[in-house]
Amino acid sequence: MENSTQESHLRSDNSVTYESAYTVYAMALSSTPSSTNINHQRIALGSFLEDYTNRVDIISFDPETLSFKTHPKLAFDHPYPPTKLMFQPNRKSASSSSSSSDLLASSGDFLRLWEVRESSIEPVTVLNNSKTSEFCAPLTSFDWNDVEPKRIGTSSIDTTCTIWDIEKCVVETQLIAHDKEVYDIAWGEARVFASVSADGSVRIFDLRDKEHSTIIYESPQPDTPLLRLAWNKQDLKYMATIQMDSNKVVILDIRSPTTPVAELERHHASVNAIAWAPQSCKHICSAGDDTQALIWELPTVAGPNGIDPLCVYSAGYEINQLQWSAAQPDWIAIAFSNKLQLLKV
Amino acid sequence: MDEVGPSNQEEFKGYSGLGTEKESALRWRPRQLVFRPYSSINGADRKLRVVVRKPLVARLTKDVIETYQICNPKFKYSEELNPKWFLTSPSVGVLNDGHDNVNSDLILTVNFVLINLETRRRYIVKNVLGHGTFGQVAKCWAPETSSFVAVKIIKNQPAYYQQALVEVSVLTTLKKKYDPEDEHHIVRIYDYFVYQHHLCICFELLDTNLYELIKINHFRGLSLSIIQLFSKQILRGLTLLKDAGIIHCDLKPENILLCTSVKPAEIKIIDFGSACMEDWTVYSYIQSRYYRSPEVLLGYQHPFDMNFSSLNLDHLIRYTTAIDMWSFGCIVAELFLGLPLFPGASEFDLLRRMVEILGGELMLQFRMNVNNLFLVYKNLEGCARIFNVLKALIGMEDGKEGQPPDYVLKEAKNTSKFFKCVGRIHNIGNSEVCGRSAYQVLTEEEYEARELKKPLIGKEYFNHKNLEAIVTCYPYRKNLPKEDIIKESQIRLALIDFLRGLVEFDPAKRWSPFQASKHPFVTGEPFTRPYRPPPETPHLVDHHPGGGHWFAAGLSPNVSKRNRVTFHNSPQFPMVPYGHANCYSSMGSLSSYNDNSGLGSSYGSYGDSSSIFACYSPVGPSVMTLHMQSGASMLGGSPNARWRIMQYSHGNGVGMSPSAKNFSLLHLGTSPSQFTPPSSYGQGSVGFPGHYGGPTSAARNSCQGSPLRQVTDGNISNQAERNSQVVDGLPSRIQSNSSSANWKQQQGGIGMATSYSIVQNIPKSIGLGSSVQLQYITGATEDKSEASMPLPGPGYWDPNYSDELLLQEDGSDESHVSAEFDRGMQIGSADSSVRIGRFNHPSSTASSNLSTQRILDFYFVCAVLIQLMLRTLDILVLYSQILTSCCTTQNSRSLSRQQNFQRFNHGKSAGVQDRERNHMKVHVPPSFSSRSPHSPGNSSFSNDMPWVTSARY
Repeated sequence: MENSTQESHLRSDNSVTYESAYTVYAMALSSTPSSTNINHQRIALGSFLEDYTNRVDIISFDPETLSFKTHPKLAFDHPYPPTKLMFQPNRKSASSSSSSSDLLASSGDFLRLWEVRESSIEPVTVLNNSKTSEFCAPLTSFDWNDVEPKRIGTSSIDTTCTIWDIEKCVVETQLIAHDKEVYDIAWGEARVFASVSADGSVRIFDLRDKEHSTIIYESPQPDTPLLRLAWNKQDLKYMATIQMDSNKVVILDIRSPTTPVAELERHHASVNAIAWAPQSCKHICSAGDDTQALIWELPTVAGPNGIDPLCVYSAGYEINQLQWSAAQPDWIAIAFSNKLQLLKV
Repeated sequence: MDEVGPSNQEEFKGYSGLGTEKESALRWRPRQLVFRPYSSINGADRKLRVVVRKPLVARLTKDVIETYQICNPKFKYSEELNPKWFLTSPSVGVLNDGHDNVNSDLILTVNFVLINLETRRRYIVKNVLGHGTFGQVAKCWAPETSSFVAVKIIKNQPAYYQQALVEVSVLTTLKKKYDPEDEHHIVRIYDYFVYQHHLCICFELLDTNLYELIKINHFRGLSLSIIQLFSKQILRGLTLLKDAGIIHCDLKPENILLCTSVKPAEIKIIDFGSACMEDWTVYSYIQSRYYRSPEVLLGYQHPFDMNFSSLNLDHLIRYTTAIDMWSFGCIVAELFLGLPLFPGASEFDLLRRMVEILGGELMLQFRMNVNNLFLVYKNLEGCARIFNVLKALIGMEDGKEGQPPDYVLKEAKNTSKFFKCVGRIHNIGNSEVCGRSAYQVLTEEEYEARELKKPLIGKEYFNHKNLEAIVTCYPYRKNLPKEDIIKESQIRLALIDFLRGLVEFDPAKRWSPFQASKHPFVTGEPFTRPYRPPPETPHLVDHHPGGGHWFAAGLSPNVSKRNRVTFHNSPQFPMVPYGHANCYSSMGSLSSYNDNSGLGSSYGSYGDSSSIFACYSPVGPSVMTLHMQSGASMLGGSPNARWRIMQYSHGNGVGMSPSAKNFSLLHLGTSPSQFTPPSSYGQGSVGFPGHYGGPTSAARNSCQGSPLRQVTDGNISNQAERNSQVVDGLPSRIQSNSSSANWKQQQGGIGMATSYSIVQNIPKSIGLGSSVQLQYITGATEDKSEASMPLPGPGYWDPNYSDELLLQEDGSDESHVSAEFDRGMQIGSADSSVRIGRFNHPSSTASSNLSTQRILDFYFVCAVLIQLMLRTLDILVLYSQILTSCCTTQNSRSLSRQQNFQRFNHGKSAGVQDRERNHMKVHVPPSFSSRSPHSPGNSSFSNDMPWVTSARY
């Protein structure tokens, strides 16, 4: 059923698909509408090529016409596949100053900043905290602090999280966050972030007290890697994480460490991405290798048989990436194979 | 698709929890546009996708190195270059080839791997849980067992290494020999090894300690039910330690840890790094100050203070497991109060606080209690309290409870630091007979003058100065219903009584773990009267339901334990050559009892101290022989035997070498490299057999034993006045002595029996070899004896009372033996409460015949007053006050069970009188049907009973 309707969805009123020249992994939706067209939204797509040279394309999406606009100059080469792309959040000052530019960050071997203009992209800086040139500890992810937009935190396989002041291009602090590789990081407040790691733990850090961290969760089986972390921006008590090779989405309440408030187990294969709804504190979307994207509403009380999702979308391919547009909360973006798909909810 | 929900972000700003049903939060719902409603059938129908690929998210996280190396073969990453998370401070390697820091601590980083090179077992360091002078404790992941453990990494210095070996051997022995089932709340040792010259000891991982728990509670006391639970568990641990002859030496809230995620709460005792064997008390400066026992504070001697060749054994007084009981008392108090009971800023301050809180202001205390209790209870339950008070009073008079007893002060090397001598020196030792201590605590000024510096005096935390007031007046939890307050106030009374038995200056009178564990505060039974602990030995049976039996103890090879008693327990006794250690064992204990009766303090029950030599002696077999030979006559003599001994005798038969030896050998300082598992140390003991008595000594033992018994007769008859006590000598009955349940049972029963024949029988029945048999086979006898117990007859208080039955007693050696035995057991608390017991008794019988009762009361009070002749007028006044209150009390509920354990004329009255009294009970015509053999002749008399006796009289 899903397959047969797939084609029609290409032009459906409620979904639209963009086909890239290469496998898409990293993906970012700009938080602010494009300056030229208030309805247009920039989308950055990172390639996953088993090659040193990878690509990042910036396209813009018009929800009115359900069309994508590309510009040959809005693309750049990127060393290694970007592990994450992200536009600077809440860039109001920039847009009000009539600048049409967005600031884009990418992570891979280093953290890089790019200025995305109307028809060009300029590399801004490469933020490298490595002490040797010979060796490199890749960054697995980063997060842009939406309260303090000059602050970016990165997570690295060298067990650290590094907090950058991107205005001064200096390291604000570097913390040995975990016993093992750190795989994801998410800001809660201006000075509070959380991270997940190969050590199987979710830890919360407060920059005001760098000596201590709070372990919010540990995998029942230690050293089961936690790959992704999503902090509910609508209700900071909650965060979600996923384990490697697991079909579960683990929902945590930071007030009751160690015991998850819910485990969402309706995927049929490993979950690859999660995103909280930007407009509701109770909804979360997950996507995985079972080709499905599931939207869940967290109930007040979980039933005996677990929690069923509200609705399901099947993409036909393993979904690698998922973003829920903060600027246009009606749209969820997923990436599978070489495709980007925008789904209206 | 037809649902059109608002999608304006503004509307969904409201933060609400998952549990709240805020309208705004609910308003947004995903529309079913491309998303379809989920149905589980959908899912079930789906074919499982066979996914061979690795998700990209994994390829860019977990496998990012491989991915990047595919992208760029020149890509290089080195884990070595990762910033190191140092867990050890300072983290600069200066010793041990850079592995150790300046403190000789192994420098740990996260994911540092400790390896047991023999077994290849790996421990991955995750965190440091704590550190101390000994080294560090790290939380480690053990991949082999997939579990977290705590690993103690000892400093790379010989002294710490050696001491840690003790901990290893203590814990290994406890685990393997004494507590294989992990039932005694002692931390489990899993493994130990040397890694990079550091001894690493691997333990089960536990949770927070009790100090942290109190801290989390904002230094407010914990609930009594929790304290009760913890007390019970700690006592289980301490019982085991006592049985194993191990002193923890550093018991404190910090060393008692909650177990991880166990409900209900379970705790374990940790840190045996200061532990020692009772027979190898090496250090005199032990225990954390707040929890330091008076005898340690005063500097009890230990063998190394002396020249071995001139070792004067009969003057060796050493600390024993009783010091842990003191600490335990302090811990219980702290759990209740939230603050330490004796937060001494200095040793002087500590002693000052002890004397003040435990001994001070007795008069005030008494008045408060009398007033309060009768006001509060309006019934005789309150009398229980008075017992306490009077006990304290007597304690004061005897100089026994307000400060450490003279025999301790006499022997302790630091006495002169804190006390001045106000008595004649040559009287010391007998001083207690005259009822006044020869020592007096220095005042602050005197101390300053002597030490040429001001003593550090800490802050006072409590408004009240004595224990009773501190506990009674401690604020109740807010909003507690009135009934609960009443309920709790009663438990608090039990707590006071409990603490009094623990923070007891006299280590000999301090309750053993077993005794404490039967206290109503621990058992949860209603607290109706001051607790009188059962004799120490019965838990032999307790631990060995199958074979537990008194005699077994005698057969055990570990008898060396007993021998030690000889040396230390009876300072009055002439010195005993080592070679005869065994022979003296039973004699020693007997004699010590004997002494006790004279001195009013009992070393006998103390019995834990031991000599090094004894500890090495593989005497077991010979002693066993001895006991077998001597048969029944021996049996009363060794109350100090421990159940552990039985364990061996049952399990292994005769020849086993006592575990104590293992420990001792460890101490001998084998070099680290030679370190081998403690289990192998037993062999060493073989080296010592020559010293110890074989059969000959055994024979001697019995010989010497009996004369002693004779000697003791006179004194002991005193105690034997109640046959029930005699009966106590039997292990089987001892067991349940303390339980109030029994008492109640008996209360129901009526009737009396002559006890004498019974007494004679007892030894024989013991010969049968198992307590069970004993109980049933001699059942009839026991019944009788019970009946005979505590009749409140006139004989109790009439000094002139006499009876021909007295003669019977004289004829029976055995009875004396058991009497002695009993005596030894009971010395601790009997003295003080006796009189009061009598006193209360009348009131309890009120229901039957008030006037008669009053008369009885009068007799009793007269007797009491006579007893009190030497006391101050004040005290007499107080007694009369009590009398008044009691007589006016309406409640006829019997408190009189007290009588069971009280002796009227304990210790001071002339032998003749005592004997007379003893027999009084015999007359009581009894029809005791109660089966519980242990009930120490509760006053469960029928109403008539008392009258019967009195009529006779």
